[in-house]
Amino acid sequence: MRQTSDVPLGAAEPWLVAFDTNRLDRMKSRVRDGEHKRFRKDTVPDVLSECDRDGLSWPRRAARLVRRMCEAEGQHPVIESDDRIVVLRTIRTVPPIYDPQTWSQLTKDRTLHELGPISNICANWGMVLSQGLEGRRQAAAKARESVQDDPDSLEFLDCAIETIEAVLALANSYVQEARRQGRNDLADILAHVPAHRPRCFHEALQALRILHAVVWMGGHYHVGLGRFDQYMWPYLKQDLDSGRLTLAAAEELLAEFFISLNKDSDLYPGVQQGDNGQSLMLGGTSRDGADAVNELTWMAIRVAHYTNMIDPKINLRFTPHTDLSLLTLATQLTRKGLGFPQYSNDAVIIPALVKHGYELEDARDYAVAACWEFLIPGKGMEVVNIGAVSMPAAVDAGIRKGLGQGENFEQICQRTAEDIRQQLQQLVDAYRKLFLPPAPYYSVLMDGCLERARDLSHGLKYNNFGVHGAGSANAADALAAVRRFVFEDKSVQPQELLAALEANFEGYEPFRRKLAEDGPKVGNNDAAADALMTKLFEWFADACEAIQDNGRGGRVRPGTGSAMYYVWLARGKEGMREPAVGATAEGRRKGEFLSANLAPSNNAPIRGPISVLQSFAKIPYRRVFNGGPITMELSGSVFSDAEAVGKVAMLVRTFAQLGCQQLQLNTVNLETLLDAKKHPEKHKNLIVRVWGWSGYFCELGPEYQDHVIARHIYAM
Amino acid sequence: MKSGVVFDIREFALHDGPGIRTTVFLKGCPLRCSWCHNPDGWIRDPQIIHGQAGDRLIGKDYTSEELAALLNEQADILRANEGGVTFSGGEPLEQAEFVTEVCDRLDNLHIVFDTSGDGTETALRLVAEKVDLFYYDLKLIDSTAHRHFTGADNAPILSNLRLLSSLGASFVIRVPLVPGVTDTDENLNAIAETVRNLPGLVRVDLLPYNRAAGGKYSNLGLKFCPLYDEQRELRLNAEPFERHRVPVRIAASDMPIRKPVPA
Ligand code: SF4
Repeated sequence: MRQTSDVPLGAAEPWLVAFDTNRLDRMKSRVRDGEHKRFRKDTVPDVLSECDRDGLSWPRRAARLVRRMCEAEGQHPVIESDDRIVVLRTIRTVPPIYDPQTWSQLTKDRTLHELGPISNICANWGMVLSQGLEGRRQAAAKARESVQDDPDSLEFLDCAIETIEAVLALANSYVQEARRQGRNDLADILAHVPAHRPRCFHEALQALRILHAVVWMGGHYHVGLGRFDQYMWPYLKQDLDSGRLTLAAAEELLAEFFISLNKDSDLYPGVQQGDNGQSLMLGGTSRDGADAVNELTWMAIRVAHYTNMIDPKINLRFTPHTDLSLLTLATQLTRKGLGFPQYSNDAVIIPALVKHGYELEDARDYAVAACWEFLIPGKGMEVVNIGAVSMPAAVDAGIRKGLGQGENFEQICQRTAEDIRQQLQQLVDAYRKLFLPPAPYYSVLMDGCLERARDLSHGLKYNNFGVHGAGSANAADALAAVRRFVFEDKSVQPQELLAALEANFEGYEPFRRKLAEDGPKVGNNDAAADALMTKLFEWFADACEAIQDNGRGGRVRPGTGSAMYYVWLARGKEGMREPAVGATAEGRRKGEFLSANLAPSNNAPIRGPISVLQSFAKIPYRRVFNGGPITMELSGSVFSDAEAVGKVAMLVRTFAQLGCQQLQLNTVNLETLLDAKKHPEKHKNLIVRVWGWSGYFCELGPEYQDHVIARHIYAM
Repeated sequence: MKSGVVFDIREFALHDGPGIRTTVFLKGCPLRCSWCHNPDGWIRDPQIIHGQAGDRLIGKDYTSEELAALLNEQADILRANEGGVTFSGGEPLEQAEFVTEVCDRLDNLHIVFDTSGDGTETALRLVAEKVDLFYYDLKLIDSTAHRHFTGADNAPILSNLRLLSSLGASFVIRVPLVPGVTDTDENLNAIAETVRNLPGLVRVDLLPYNRAAGGKYSNLGLKFCPLYDEQRELRLNAEPFERHRVPVRIAASDMPIRKPVPA
C-alpha cells in the first residue's frame, strides 16, 4: 500500500546499466585521478627542422606533423592490463610546423579562424569505418591516376596517403605491444582496424578511438563525434543478433569508450576546461525519413548516466512525437548535473536547413558542432561561429543616438537594424580573407576529398558561415522599456534616460528598478517584449540573407547562441571585433552579464519555464537556424522523485510541441549556489526547493542558504 | 468583478498536483503555524520584503478576468501534460469568491485547491463546486495542541473536512511532519482514524519538515521562533496509516529520507 516517492517508483530503473561495473568503476576513478598522466612525456617531436630543411610545402608539413606525432606515440604505446580499448595521447602539445616569423608572414593579411587549424566540424565517421583506412588509401590511389598532371592534386593525395600510413603504423605499434604483453585479443583487433571494416562493435569502437585521437594530434580541435547511434548501430546490431554480444557486454564496451574520451581531453584547446567539443549526437530522423532511434540510442544515454563524466557531450534529436519514455531517460541524465543532453527539435531544424539549400537527406543527417551549430557530418566545411552580433550594442546605439536627436521609436528601430547590418558586414568582411590551412588527414575522413583530390580546406558540399545574435533578451527588453516608458506612457523623459545611462544609473536607483522590474520582459510570454525580440532576429536574418556569397561559395547563417559572448560583449575582451556595451535601458548596469544564449535577462522577473518556452517559440527559426539553445537552469532538487522527473520530460516535450529549436537544461550546481550566496544580485531568479514549494534562493536568510547548500552536497 | 491579491504565480510547480501545473499563491491566512515557511502569505495586503538582492513588493491585485486570461495562455500546454492550475496560499478559502470567478473563466483546466481548511462553510461549498481535487492539511487532532501551534481552533477544520467529504469531493490529506509536534504516534494515529472512513479520500501525503522553513522571516521584519526543537530528529512514521489501511505516501523531500540505492 505504501509508496515512497523519494526512491524511484517501480522496480525498473531504466537508467541503470546491466554490466558488472567493478572494472570500469576502477578505470573511471583512475582517469578522474589522472593516473594515466604519468605516461605523458615532456618531449615534443621536432617537426619544424625537417620541414624547413627539406623546404616542405604547407600540405606536406601538415602531413608530416601527423606522421611524426603518430610515430612518437607509437614508440611508447600504452596498454594497461585491464584496457580493452586503447590509444592514449602522451605528447602534451602539438609542435609547430612553421616558426613564428614565417607563420606571421604567411598569415598576414589573412584572417585565421580562432587558432588557425580547421576546427569545429564533424567527419563522416560511418564512411571511414565502413571503408577502413585501406579503403580510403585505395580511393586516394584511384584518384591519383586521374590527376597525373595536376601537381597540387597529386601532392594532396600523397599527403593524405602519408597520414593514412602513419595511422596504420601507430595501430601496428599497438599490435606489437599487445602481443608483447600477451594481449592477443587486442592485437587481433588492431591488426584488423582501422585498416579494414570492423567485424564487430568492439572493433568499431577501437577504430573510432584511434581515428578520432589522431585528428587532435594534427592540431585540430573541437572534433565532433557525429551521429554515433546511427553509424555504430550496424556493428552493434550484428553482434546482438548473432549472440556475439549480450546487451550488458555491449554496454561495458561502450562505457569504456566513453571513459577513454576523457583521458586526453585536458590537452585539448578550449575556452575553459571541458570546452573541448566532443559532441555526440543521438536519435532523430534517418536519412530516409524514418525514426532513427534504436537500441544504441537508449544504451548511449544509460552509459553516459553511468560514466557521469564530461565527455562525450550528449545531444539528443527528437520531434514532438518522440516517445516520452526516451525523454524521461534523457531527463535522468540531466539530473546528473553535467548540463547535457542538449535537445534539438528535428521538426524545426530539418525544414529550415532544407529552406536554405541543404538537400533533404543531408538535412535529416545533421549533427552539431562543438556547441550547438547544425552541420552535416562529412559534408560541411562550415565555419559555424565566425563571431557574434551584439544585439544589446545595436539597440543601445539606436537608443542613445535616436533619443539624443529627438527621434521616434520607429527611427530608433531603423538605427538598430542598420547597426546589426553593419556589425555583421564587418565580421563577414574580415572573414572574406579567411585562410584555412591544409588538413590532409581530416580530408581522408570527409566525403569526396580523396575522390576529387581536393583538400578539405578548399571546401565541401556546404560552406556557410555562422554568426550568432547574442544578448537578444537584454536587447529586446531595452527596446521594450523605451517603447513603454518613453513613447507610450511617457513616464520617462528621453533626457532622463540618457543621463541615467551615462551615469551608469548611479544616483538613479529607483529609476533603474523601474526599468528593470516594471518593463515588458522576454521570458514571460509578453507580446510587447517578444515582438521586439522577433524583430531583432528578423533584422539580423535580413542582414544575413543580403549577403549572397561569403567568399567561399556559401551564405551566412544567423544563430541564437552566445557562447562566451554574454561575458565578452558585456565587459569587452582584448582583440575582440565585436563592440562592448555600457549600461543599458533594461536597467542593466555596465559590466553586468548579458543573458546566455536564449534566456531571459538575468534579473528579469519571470513566472517560470513554460512562459520562457512560449517566448522563445516566437523566434523565426526557419530563418534563424545556426543553432543556439534556450538555456534553463533547474534546481537539482526538482528531480527528487520519479514523478517529478516525468514532468521534466514533459517540459522537454512541450519545448518541441511549441516549435522551439534547441534546449539546454542545466541542473543548478553547487558552485552556482555558492556564487549566489556571495553575489545575490547576479542570481535573483535562482530557485531552490523548500519543503514542497520552491523559493528564491536570494530571499532566504544566510543560514538557510547554508542549509540549502549543505543539503545540495548531501543530495549529490 | 472580483479582484484578489496574489503573492506569487509559479509555473511548473512540481509538487502541487498531477501533471504540469501552475500554482497561484493567494495572500492572507487566518492561521499562524509555528513551522510556516510562507509568512509572506499571512496578511492580505501587499507588503515590501527586504531581500539581499533588493526590496520587492509582495502581493499584486488581479481581477478574475486578468488572472484567468494569464492562466489560459497556457491552457493547451497544461491540459496536454495532464496538469492544470493549483490555488494555494496563504489560505485560498479567504478569497473563495475570487477563486470561483477565476475558475469559471478558466478554459477547461483541472483544478487543485490547497487549503488548511480554516474558512467558512460557505466559502468551502462555493469552491467545492469548481475544484477537481483538494489538498487538505491536517496538522494536529488535539485541539489544545492545535491552538498552541497554529493559533487557532481546529473544530472548523475538522467539520469542513466532513462537509467536503459529504459533498462528494476528492481530497488528498497533507500532514506536515514537524519533529515532536505532528510526527507523534498519537497524532498520526488520530489523523488516520479521522480520515480512514471518509468517502473521497485519495491518500495521505506526509510532508517531512524542512529546516529551511524560517528562511523568509527576517526579510519581512519578523522573527522565526519555532515552538519546537528544530534539531530534533524527525520521525517518518507511516505505520499508523498502514495499520488503518489508509494509502500513504511520504512526499518528496529535500532531505532524502533514503538515498536511492543502486540495484
Ligand atoms: S496554514 Fe499554511 S500559510 Fe497559513 S500559517 Fe499555516 S503553514 Fe502558513
